[in-house]
Amino acid sequence: MRFLPHTDTDRTAMLETIGVSNMAELFSDIPGEFHIEKGSLEIADALSEAGIVRKFTKASEKNRNATNSRYFLGGGTYHHFVPAVVDYIISRGEFLTAYTPYQPEISQGTLQALFEFQTMIARLTGMDVSNASMYEAATATAEAALMARRVTRKSRVVMAGSVNPRYRSVTANYLSRLDGEYAEVDMGRHGTDLDKVIAAIDEKTACVIVQYPDFYGSVYDLAPLRAACDAARCLMVVAFSDISAFALIESPGAMGADIAVGSGQSLGIPMGFGGPHLGLFTCKQKYLRQMPGRVCGLTSDADGKRGFVLTLSTREQHIRREKATSNICSNQGLMCTAAATYMTQMGDAGLGTVARHSAAALHSLVSQLPGHVTAAHGAHYNETVLSFADQQARDRFLKAAQESDIFAGIPLEQIETAADGRHLLVATTEMVEEADINDYLAILEVAK
Amino acid sequence: MSMSDMNRADTTFKYSGTVGMQHEEPLLFEHAHEAPESINLPGVDGEISAELSAFSRKQAANIPGLSEPETVRHFVRLSQWNHGIETGFYPLGSCTMKYNPRVNEQVVRLPGLAHIHPDQPEDTAQGVLELMYELQDWLGEVSGLPHVTLQPAAGAHGELAGLMMIKAALDARGQSQRRKVLVPDSAHGTNPASAALCGMHTVELKSGADGRIDLDELKAHLDDETAALMMTNPNTAGAFESDIKEICQLVHDAGGLVYGDGANLNALVGVARPGDMGIDCLHINVHKTFSTPHGGGGPGGGPVAVNDTLAPYLPVPRIEKHGDTLTLVNACDTSVGPVLGTPGQIGVYIRANAYISAFGRQHLHKIAEDAVLNANYVLHRLKDRYHVPFEGLCKHECLLTDEIQNKHGVKTLDIAKRLIDLGFHPMTVYFPLIVHGAMLIEPTETESRETLDAFCDAMLEIADACEAGDTEALHEAPLKPFRRRLDETQAARKPVLVWPE
Repeated sequence: MRFLPHTDTDRTAMLETIGVSNMAELFSDIPGEFHIEKGSLEIADALSEAGIVRKFTKASEKNRNATNSRYFLGGGTYHHFVPAVVDYIISRGEFLTAYTPYQPEISQGTLQALFEFQTMIARLTGMDVSNASMYEAATATAEAALMARRVTRKSRVVMAGSVNPRYRSVTANYLSRLDGEYAEVDMGRHGTDLDKVIAAIDEKTACVIVQYPDFYGSVYDLAPLRAACDAARCLMVVAFSDISAFALIESPGAMGADIAVGSGQSLGIPMGFGGPHLGLFTCKQKYLRQMPGRVCGLTSDADGKRGFVLTLSTREQHIRREKATSNICSNQGLMCTAAATYMTQMGDAGLGTVARHSAAALHSLVSQLPGHVTAAHGAHYNETVLSFADQQARDRFLKAAQESDIFAGIPLEQIETAADGRHLLVATTEMVEEADINDYLAILEVAK
Repeated sequence: MSMSDMNRADTTFKYSGTVGMQHEEPLLFEHAHEAPESINLPGVDGEISAELSAFSRKQAANIPGLSEPETVRHFVRLSQWNHGIETGFYPLGSCTMKYNPRVNEQVVRLPGLAHIHPDQPEDTAQGVLELMYELQDWLGEVSGLPHVTLQPAAGAHGELAGLMMIKAALDARGQSQRRKVLVPDSAHGTNPASAALCGMHTVELKSGADGRIDLDELKAHLDDETAALMMTNPNTAGAFESDIKEICQLVHDAGGLVYGDGANLNALVGVARPGDMGIDCLHINVHKTFSTPHGGGGPGGGPVAVNDTLAPYLPVPRIEKHGDTLTLVNACDTSVGPVLGTPGQIGVYIRANAYISAFGRQHLHKIAEDAVLNANYVLHRLKDRYHVPFEGLCKHECLLTDEIQNKHGVKTLDIAKRLIDLGFHPMTVYFPLIVHGAMLIEPTETESRETLDAFCDAMLEIADACEAGDTEALHEAPLKPFRRRLDETQAARKPVLVWPE
């Protein structure tokens, strides 16, 4: 077996050193009744390396993908451009095959990259501090709710109905086994009605969670909510799906968020059928000690040279056990390195272009829609809801678009189960060209 | 030390940041030049809507931006400060640091696996679903627990999902008073943290004199409030819980369920199955047992395998096969619900599938065999010079302590740091908590005898130095890397987590 260095001669010599006569003796502490016959498991026959390449190539060819189709799909996962450099850096064995940097003297590479990552994420979101990642956006949202409960010592969580339904259901699920109320505010439309959200706040409320831009892509002013949260002494938690927005529009921090969480998948990480992605978690400095997850901090070594370590570990499970701020241990470390590399190569200018092209593509599409398709009103970044006369019309269009190698949108009810079947959630990125939009518009004729 | 001190460049490195082959590399925020012309990007270079313009960001984010060659050099230089499994031996106990095959990195980047959207129509994603379905099957087979969810993103997340299922099953039996989770004092810290997140409370079981679960201690804590025992087998001292059958029986008789922490599955894969022993629910750290790269802390993957009792409660979405078609099932009344916003860490699972494919039915047991062989070999080479707290065979990792070296004023931390100077990543230190000065060594199946011998020789050299009273290098260590012991107290007292603008 090509991954195993020992020869049978090695094995025999080592068994002799140990003082046992055969391999089975090494497992004699496992009761005999539990030993299984070698080779008896129902698992495929071993493959050569060539066989593995063949198997996975064959599987991959069954999937339509963004190199042979045009993607207008979002809903939390976006097809942004991934520069070759990003994949190269995270393929380097020193980053790829390192463990969590618990031995900082020989992990300064990961640690400095994490520090740079935290800094850039804090700047892009307009927040004071960032941790070194959560799994993805939905669990990050749930962790934000839990953190707000710790900070405020109150237990009620108010969730806007315009937050991605998947973030909502994971958060509701996390909270459902703990004391305290969870209240979802129905928006009644494809957008955010802050008046309704504000009306749901009471004195027991620990936090209000909104999404910005919201699940339907809509961008709105959070100032009224900030004022309401101040009045009720609760935290304002802002979730986001596509962080590229904040190179163009006002950041959650500038809007007054106490905690901002979301997905960093847009920062150089391929869609990958949903993972591994990157959960982001940022907050105000004053709440730092209630933050979940690992953080990297600046310090100095025994010779006074600058260096980095994982810090504030007394919040974490390996020290605090059942009193930890979270149970998270393994996070998305390598994806932080990917995002740091991506942001470094992009800079303000590149990130700005990504955002501007993403928004311009949506504006181009929406402003040319035919009369039989409508888009939600108001400011949208790179995502919106298109509505058709009925489900038949929408599905005719989806089918025709797919025949032209266009994934034209996500049927809204696929994510928001209560939605009726005539809506499409449509997203654009810089990977969408004017020609794709023209094709999209032409195919919309079948929805008449 | 003040911020300005930290800013001061070490003048030894004044021209290029390199002396010999040793690099200094500034923070990218310190590369003091204006951002170069931005990368060329595709897309619609058009107008944005007037409504959106009203929300324009007023202050730039101040993300520095380097040219492509500078970006590559910056991060490549950083990478060279890291020890990885490709660099050298990485004997971290309970972490299962094994070689990560390169072909796995190749196949996960195939466009039809990398650039696919979780919400594209299922008939256009059958290939990836087949790989995931196959992996579910195989994990069920390896664990002896046939029903598998791929939702959990990491081991701790799997613990949470598993406890949610256990709780749901108990509630369905009308036993919602069962909220007590028994956790041995040798357990990973995630176990009690996950229980708390699941609305349960933990009671710690004191390990017996042999480091294993003490049956009397277990019996004394089992009652009608007991929801589960969370156990790791082999345990974190590297010892197999030989009373496993009786342990599971006792918990079941008391009306509870047994949660298995699969962090140490590497010792059993292809040799014995937790499900056969009475475990009801097991998370599998695929970033350990099935060799998906640790990536400097993640991403991992924590699929959970369960028996028939818990199957109705598996999270959604589930990957199911209906006829010849694979589908993601989102609705199920008995399910504990979703624990993640996406179908899972798919790229991680593609690699895990590839690892199992390479071993196949014929060779899978060799993972456990060589891992256990290596650990026992290291144990036998070191046992006369280092204190072994628990006698007998070990499984995939062996536990030593610093008791002997302590007499010479040397502690586990010194030994660990000295290993760095001698060219090795240290073992896991000060865990498990049940012994003083723990050193937990896990030499996985992909390590050669030559490497193990070199490591043992280094450990023996340290033991010699202690006995010779030649301990200065041990206290000072590490001296070789470009950073020496880092001040963790300073970092925590006044945390600086972002570079000031």
